[in-house]
Amino acid sequence: MLSLIRNGNRGGPDDDAYLRRVSESGDLKEARRNIFLWRIYVLERTCVLTFALLGQLHLLDESVADFIAHHNISPFRETQGPAFLEGLSGHREPLIASVARFELALSRVRQGDPRRHVVPWSVDPRPVLNALARGLPVDVEADACACRILVSRDLPFLFEVVFSPAEERV
Amino acid sequence: MRPAIATGTSPAAGKARRRASLGVSYEGRDPDLLRRMLPHVDYLEVTPETISEMNGDELVLSPEIMAELRNAAGAVKIVVHGVSLSIGSHEGWSPTYLRLLDSLLDQVDVVWHSEHLGYTKVDGEHLGIMLAMPKTEQALDVVSERVRKIQERYPIPFLIENIVHVVPDCPGDYSDAAFLNALAERTDCGLLLDAYNLECDEHNHGFDIPAFLDQLDASRVRELHVACGVEHNGFLLDVHSRLPRPSTVVLARQVVNRAAGSVRAVVYEFMPEAVPGLGRDAIAEELGRLRAAFES
Repeated sequence: MLSLIRNGNRGGPDDDAYLRRVSESGDLKEARRNIFLWRIYVLERTCVLTFALLGQLHLLDESVADFIAHHNISPFRETQGPAFLEGLSGHREPLIASVARFELALSRVRQGDPRRHVVPWSVDPRPVLNALARGLPVDVEADACACRILVSRDLPFLFEVVFSPAEERV
Repeated sequence: MRPAIATGTSPAAGKARRRASLGVSYEGRDPDLLRRMLPHVDYLEVTPETISEMNGDELVLSPEIMAELRNAAGAVKIVVHGVSLSIGSHEGWSPTYLRLLDSLLDQVDVVWHSEHLGYTKVDGEHLGIMLAMPKTEQALDVVSERVRKIQERYPIPFLIENIVHVVPDCPGDYSDAAFLNALAERTDCGLLLDAYNLECDEHNHGFDIPAFLDQLDASRVRELHVACGVEHNGFLLDVHSRLPRPSTVVLARQVVNRAAGSVRAVVYEFMPEAVPGLGRDAIAEELGRLRAAFES
């Protein structure tokens, strides 16, 4: 039943008759769709920036499906968001990794994490975050730059964009 | 002797007795909503998991929401309705849920608590959804034993709720009603009947509600839930996003009548995410209508 619910694996002829019935039922398809939609619903509200970016890059469904299939996380909004962001922090696409790491660090700091977090970026984060926060398209072809965002409770607005000396902006 | 929930069977002299009191679910952090709802309800129903937050790696009750509950406890009674105990998981229930419940009961007075007759985990893996228990003798033995342990752990009444059947039922030894009756009889637990869940099962699987009610020992029902979700791909979904349908209220009233005074509260459930769409005023108005519907 776990495999049917989480992965939709259809059973074989040797399976229990009841499990075969479930695997062939429209109810199972609807249940799996509802699980997926619930995850989407929660993540859209708890991982706002990352969710928006994944949507713009047409990677949302793939990312959520992968999250469901490979992470044993309680579906509650309190636990899902951090786990989703943590999983994306190592994404192959550097922009996704940076946004996820930034959003995760920010949420932790807001909840009282006393540590200083450093999030590396390969592009200027300011227009990216501004666009995501305002629901505007992100320029994924932006010029590369070596910079980082510091996230900490003792910073004004909780974070600060820091450029390497050669990249300093006025 | 199990702690009992006082039932409203004795009319006060010279005054019409309310058939069932009204309650409402609340997940915190909306004092404006709470202020509007409190005048219409006698009970506030909270779910430990949804009034929690991560503190480092640990899930803890939100201090902010607990303060709200302590403030509200002067005006209403608090009841608890869990969703993650997973009382039916073969490997055991969720210790995290019990830890949250312990903490909650330490901080506010709770009149009774409830959970679902189902399971959300298998071999430690989250399903992401709640599945109904197979209605077998073996399942009855397991759940009965766990209900007894819950009752030994907490000195307040415990209720079990019928859940929506999201996949076809596993062949069993009992009907839905007979299983609930047997569980209540073995353990003396109360029942929480979700009227909208019954309607979802009727719509999605042809569940025979009249036959279910005929067989159910309604005297065990202490609480009712009314709620409303959406229809998707021909299925009614139990997502607590709308005001209750008239049919759900009618069904709940039928149960209250059959229970002949044993129902203590009817609770309207809705998600906080539904509030912007429903409107706080509309929710308060609906509570007023529901209160009138369940008064004698």
